[in-house]
Formats: sequence, C-alpha cells, structure tokens
Amino acid sequence: MDETLAEFFRRTILKIPMTEMMTILKTWNFLSENQLQTVNFRQRKESIVQDLVLLLINIEYHATLRLNDAAHLDIIYTQFHRHQKIWDVFQMSKRPGDNIDLFDMEEFKSSFKKILQRALKNVTVSFRDAEENSVWIRIAWGTQYKKPNQYKPAYVVYYSQTPYAFTSSSQLKSNLPLLGQALTVASKHHQIVKMDLRSRYLDSLKAIVFKQYNQSFETHNSTTSLQERSFGLDINMDSRIIHENKVEKERVQRVTQEIFGDYPQPRLEFAQYKLETKFKSDLNRGILAEREEPLRCLVKFSSPHLLEALKSLAPAGIADAPLSPLLTCIPNKGRNYFKIRDK
Amino acid sequence: MELENTLRQDSKCHGGVLAHLERLETQVSKSHKKLEEPQNAQALEARIHELKRLQDKLRAEVKQRQARVKASTANVEPDQTLEISEQEILERKQENMNAILQAYRFTGISGKLTSQGVCVCISTAFEGNLLDSYFVDLVMEKPLWIHHHSVPVFISLEEISAKYLQTNTQHFRFVLCEYLNTYSGRKHQADRLQSDFAAFLVGPLQRNSLCNLLSFTYKVKPEGQSFPFCARLLYKDLTTTLPTDVTVTSQGTETLPRMWEEQRAAHENLFFMKPLHQVFTTFAKKG
Repeated sequence: MDETLAEFFRRTILKIPMTEMMTILKTWNFLSENQLQTVNFRQRKESIVQDLVLLLINIEYHATLRLNDAAHLDIIYTQFHRHQKIWDVFQMSKRPGDNIDLFDMEEFKSSFKKILQRALKNVTVSFRDAEENSVWIRIAWGTQYKKPNQYKPAYVVYYSQTPYAFTSSSQLKSNLPLLGQALTVASKHHQIVKMDLRSRYLDSLKAIVFKQYNQSFETHNSTTSLQERSFGLDINMDSRIIHENKVEKERVQRVTQEIFGDYPQPRLEFAQYKLETKFKSDLNRGILAEREEPLRCLVKFSSPHLLEALKSLAPAGIADAPLSPLLTCIPNKGRNYFKIRDK
Repeated sequence: MELENTLRQDSKCHGGVLAHLERLETQVSKSHKKLEEPQNAQALEARIHELKRLQDKLRAEVKQRQARVKASTANVEPDQTLEISEQEILERKQENMNAILQAYRFTGISGKLTSQGVCVCISTAFEGNLLDSYFVDLVMEKPLWIHHHSVPVFISLEEISAKYLQTNTQHFRFVLCEYLNTYSGRKHQADRLQSDFAAFLVGPLQRNSLCNLLSFTYKVKPEGQSFPFCARLLYKDLTTTLPTDVTVTSQGTETLPRMWEEQRAAHENLFFMKPLHQVFTTFAKKG
C-alpha cells in the first residue's frame, strides 16, 4: 500500500474515539465481522489502530483498497462529528419557467465530479448517500502541480430537489467559486448565492432553511388543548406569597410565547450585527454626536444556544418584551449576520 | 223533583182537571209503595252491613294498589326518569361534534380555526390507504400569509402560494392538495416496492425527494434463472401518480431473444398502466 494512504488511514482511525470505534467501523462496512474479530480491542488505542492498519495493508493483496475507501471512512467520521465543523448555507435558484426537476443522483454525482476534475487536475471527490435523499460530498483540494491535501477536505451536504446546499467552511476560500459552479450545474440550477447564515449545528441550519422548526399545529385530533396552559406561574405556591407584578409577568409570558412558540428553538451560537449608522445620543454633546459619517461597529451575541437564551431574556426580567425584531427575526429570515444602515 | 217532572209530562196529555187529579193520586200511591218495601228493621240492618263490607273491601283494594305503585317506583333508577339534565344533553352534543370534526380529516382536507386564522390539514391518500398529513397555518389578514407549515421543502409551496393564495384561495388549496396527494402516492408506491418486493430487486432502488425518477434492476422471479431488466420511470407530470416515461432495457448490449423482447415490451406497458407495486404483485402471481 502507498505509504501516504496507510498514513491517511492511520490518522483517520486515530481520530475516532474508542466509544464509537465499533459503531463507525461497522457503518463503514469495509472490514467484515470476521476480520474485525482478529483485532484485540482491549489494547491501548495506538496498538488497536496499528493492528487495524496492518489488517488493511494485508487486505490490499486480495481487494483493491483505494483512496475512496479511506475517504468514505473520513465522511462517516465527519457525519458522527458534524458539529466540529462550521457550516455555511448556499441558496440556488432556477430560471423562471425551467422544466420540472427530474433529479438523477448518479447523474448529479458524475456531473459534479467532472466539473471539478476538468478545472483542477488534482482533486479527490467522494460521495456517500444519506437519509432523506441527500448526499454528503467530500472534496480534497489540490492544484495543477500539487496532490490533493487529504487532511483539509471540504464537505458539502445536498438534499435532492431543494435549492439549498450546506458546506463546511473551508480554509481554501479560492476554491469556493468553483465549488458553487459545480453544485449549480450538477443540480440543474441557474445561480448560487451565499446566505448570511452560519452555525456548527447542521441539523439546526436545515431546520431553519427548510422551515421545519415549528411543527406544532392546531388540529381537532390533538389531545392537549393549547388554551389550557398556565403561563409558567406555579399554582401550588404558598398563598402568603403575592406577586406584585403578576399581570406584567403574564403579559411577558404571553408575548414570548407568541414570538418564540412552544417548540425547541434551532441551535445557533451567535448573531452578528454590523452597524453603519449615525451615532444617536440624548445629550446633544460629545464628539461622537457631531459626526456626519456613520459610526461603524460590530455587535456580536454569543451563546451555547442563542435562540433559547433570547427566549429566556424577557421572562427573566433582563429585557423588555417584545424583544427587538432584529433579534427575533433570525430563524424566520434565515440569517444571523446583519448589516444595518440608516434608512 | 221526580213528582214535578212527571207532572209536567202528564200535563202534555189530554183530559180535564179531574183526570189530572186521578193521575196525581196514582202517582202518590206508587211512590208510597216504593217507600214501604224495605220497611222492616232487619232488612235495613242487613243492608247496612252489606254496604259496610263493600266499603271495607274497596278500601283494602285501594291500599293494596297504592302499596304496589310505591314499590315499583322505588326500584327504578333515577336516570331512567324522564328528567335528563340540560347539561348532559349539551355535553353529548359536544362529544358528537368533536367526533365529527375529527373524522373530517378522512375527506382529505379539513381545518381548525385558530386565534389568527385557520390551520388547514391536508390528509393524503392513495388507493384507499390513508397516508401522511400536511398542515398549512394561514393568518387571515390582508394580504393572506402563511405563518408556518409542514409541507416538504421540495414541494414548491412558495410558487403555488405566489400564484394563487391572494387571488383564489380555494384554488390554492386545490392545487396544493393535488401536488401533495400525488407526491404521497408516488412515495407510497416506491416504499411498497422496497419493502414488499425487495426479493425482486437486484441492487438498490434509486429515487429522489419528489419520487419522480425511479431507477432499478429487477427480475420477474425472485429465485432461480430469470432475466434481469433495468427500468427507468420518469414522472414528468407532478399531478399524476403514474409515470409519463418508461424505459425497460436489458443489462447487456446484445439483442434479446424474441421471447425476452416480448416480455420487455409487455413490462414497459405494465409500468405505464399500473401503480408500481401492483405491477410487481402481477409478477408475483405469474411466477
């Protein structure tokens, strides 16, 4: 086996945590049960990895072990650890009056690969079909003269017959236009635009752009009545305790529920606002107030779960309800990067 | 009184005063005779006894009947009395209404009023099988807008609502219903093929989100020697559940012997005419 390939295998398997090792190897489905049983999984991790790589080297004599198989393993690892990457969202559009999309997955894959290979001589493209008629694409970029760098691949997740594609932010930004072109042409779209939406949580991004985050509907068949809900006030409280501002608390709860709903919020880590507005001050003094040009500043909200945090602000008494629409429009508009200018 | 009546009757007869007096005389003697009959004390006493006995008998009977009525009313349940409360009537009516509203979804399209508008529920079906339900929550404002929905992203809801939502809401519902029902039907056929007829398939079934392109290799008989065919079904019309284009080919490039060629052509025809899983049911029956 090629030394670089063996090394690639070794480093890929080494990344896998021991708790997931068996699951990932079984999902990969390249090594059979019998072959896996020849490895002693009770050793130290380095020894296990060494044994596995030796096993693969031996297999190579009987079957053609290709870079593609290693790439597959890498895709599976990334699928299990998708939150380790930061994902961008691209939106494609068709020309009005375009024909109905008869999406053929095999055609898409071959078209995508051809476009990249025609532009860059050295590129590794691998595919893995996933749930809901989607495909995970792994791309290792090279140049005309350099072999592809297997350790800094880019990933693209595409759900067939949708206008959205999710890409892991790649360090190699120069290849982005080519990637966009390959996606657009292969999926039979006309244009592609990068959305101002970014997060580690791929499933949340999908929920936002596919508009799947609010799935509670009023029907006659529902067993829980939506009106019969206490607005968070404990009924079993001691009767000696009186809430001075009970009415206000109830109003805040109601407004929060109207805006944020009952459903779990999609998970984002930040919202960024680039302000280019004139400085406004109550006191008509100060250097900043006299400026004619807009003041540029960046406001960034960070949180392990931004939308849930925003939802809890008003009930906790930290902010007024209703919150600014700039904050509450995030899932609806599908963006967490904003540029605000004076109107 | 009696005497007076008879007197008036007699005065209608002919005759003079003497005759009249004679008549009066006879009447008096008649009434005297009547009064004279039960004159002896014994007879009177006996009569009194008899009447008393009758009175006791009747009183006893009355008491018995009253007792019987009381006993029968004591065994009857309160519900069986005719007084069902008004509240119970209303509760039963409400239960009935709720059941009818819940059953409405079997018509394919139903809705529930919300605080802001209406939540429309489209229950899809194919060949008598109830499939997935999809919801569209509409806000009744000018202009009408969709608050949230559960329509899959690959169904062009935006396009349909841009065309019809404002101008003709009924047509909007109709078109959406059509698209969702046919998508559901195509998906159902593909799912049935994969689950019920996996033995006939050689390799995986290739499909897409809209289930409007299906590509697979199959055998007519699951075991044994049977010629594998490659089928490619295209559904260019998204308002149908049957394919618009069907291509059945043999795997190799050499020309087929005539028997297989006939079968190939027959299969192509079958895929055009029948839903996918029914075509395979036909294969299963023949084999």
